[in-house]
Amino acid sequence: MALTITCPICGKRNGYEFRYGGEEKGPRPDEKDLTPESWCDYVHMNKCVAGVQQEWWFHRDGCGSWFTIFRDTTTNLEKETPEAKE
Amino acid sequence: MFSKSKPMWGKKTKLKSSYDVVLIGGGLHSLATAYYLAKEHGITDVAIIEKNYIGYGGAGRNTAIVRANQRTQYNVPLYKEALDLWPVLTKELDYNLMFNNCGNLNLMHSEAAMNAARMTIATAQFHGVESHLIDAKEAKELVPALNISEDITFPIHGAMFHPPGGVVRHDAVVWGLAKGAAKMGVEIHQQTEATGINTKNGKVTAVVTDKGVINTKQVLISAGGYSAALIHGFLGIKLPISVLTIQAMVTQPLKPILDHVVSSGAYHCYANQTLKGEIATGAHMDPWPNYTTLNTAHYIKHQAEALSEFLPALRGVRFMRIWGGLADMTPDMAPIMDGNEQVEGFFMDCGWGYFGFKSCSAVGRHMASFMATNTCPDILKPFALKRYQEHKLMGETAALMSYTPDN
Repeated sequence: MALTITCPICGKRNGYEFRYGGEEKGPRPDEKDLTPESWCDYVHMNKCVAGVQQEWWFHRDGCGSWFTIFRDTTTNLEKETPEAKE
Repeated sequence: MFSKSKPMWGKKTKLKSSYDVVLIGGGLHSLATAYYLAKEHGITDVAIIEKNYIGYGGAGRNTAIVRANQRTQYNVPLYKEALDLWPVLTKELDYNLMFNNCGNLNLMHSEAAMNAARMTIATAQFHGVESHLIDAKEAKELVPALNISEDITFPIHGAMFHPPGGVVRHDAVVWGLAKGAAKMGVEIHQQTEATGINTKNGKVTAVVTDKGVINTKQVLISAGGYSAALIHGFLGIKLPISVLTIQAMVTQPLKPILDHVVSSGAYHCYANQTLKGEIATGAHMDPWPNYTTLNTAHYIKHQAEALSEFLPALRGVRFMRIWGGLADMTPDMAPIMDGNEQVEGFFMDCGWGYFGFKSCSAVGRHMASFMATNTCPDILKPFALKRYQEHKLMGETAALMSYTPDN
């Protein structure tokens, strides 16, 4: 399926150069006050949004950057902002 | 399909304002749950809510393979029961499900894989499932089309042979269960989209649909690949699921050449010949979550390369059709079945990845018992959502799946 991803360094490239790195879940929880729930939430849990989500990508066959983009999971198209509809 | 004429499973009914049980998703897990709720528990005031039409999702997109040669002691009995149910359901539903127990052959391409197969076979045999380890020569005797020469990318060392597995006509199961359930009073509402679940004091009170609100105390979400998005959207419950597209394809029809389901982990490929003569083949997943069912040239090439290596007789054969479906993958390759835990009256049956078809009959039966009695059957207990918090992930896969972001 067609997918292009915009790397902050290399620009718009073929999606197969990248590796998906999961949904954006905020910073890693602090070791202090860590509970099995909060750790599990950070490690495993996803929202599986059918729509626009913020997600991590790794430019595996390129510059090696890690960065986030917004993508509509129902169309595989990159979006500028989380609110982008069309 | 949605015309005024009578649907094949019975009369078209009007959506009522309340039901004892509402099942979201018109796939096999919902249909089987509804069937067993009515048949074994006398609960017939049941509505199945389906956005498209029954069998639109994974139920009609899988490649119809059934087997019980999984890896862990929790999974094997479930799949064994499902396998044993096909002939029973064929009789009960009075509907030919076309169960062809031609046997599965899992190719092994290294000594390490042969050792892993020995363990899986020991588990299977312990649970009374027939499964044997055979060497490359024996595999060749079973499947003469197999290439057991050493000059292919992944030479075949042997295989795990599982005779009771095979193929079931998936559409027939959809139609048979729909008919069987409807006969006992279950209502199937196609073109009806669930848009929310109402709760009060931690209890389910209603399901909101685009055709009106349905009051109910019990709701099951078993909507295949769409389950995780619905469960999070309706109730804010996050799940350890990644939804990926999985593709499959069939070749032009050929004379009988393949009498077993042959699969290979190293080649990421499985193949079997349908009754029409086509070679149905698939296995590869696209490596990022999405809800499209698009196909890729990349994958057709992969499949052609794999097949022409281990089944070289297929070289030059043309692919006729290709399609995609959604697989909701969990990090431990085992499903999530839970109920009354997060919200009273809310049940879920999801995370099946590409195992939903093989398991539907047995799981429908146990989910029905779970919902009817509000007591989780022992066989489903290990599949509760809290296992991820307790770090009791199932060993269904030796390592975290490489195609999810978890790995």
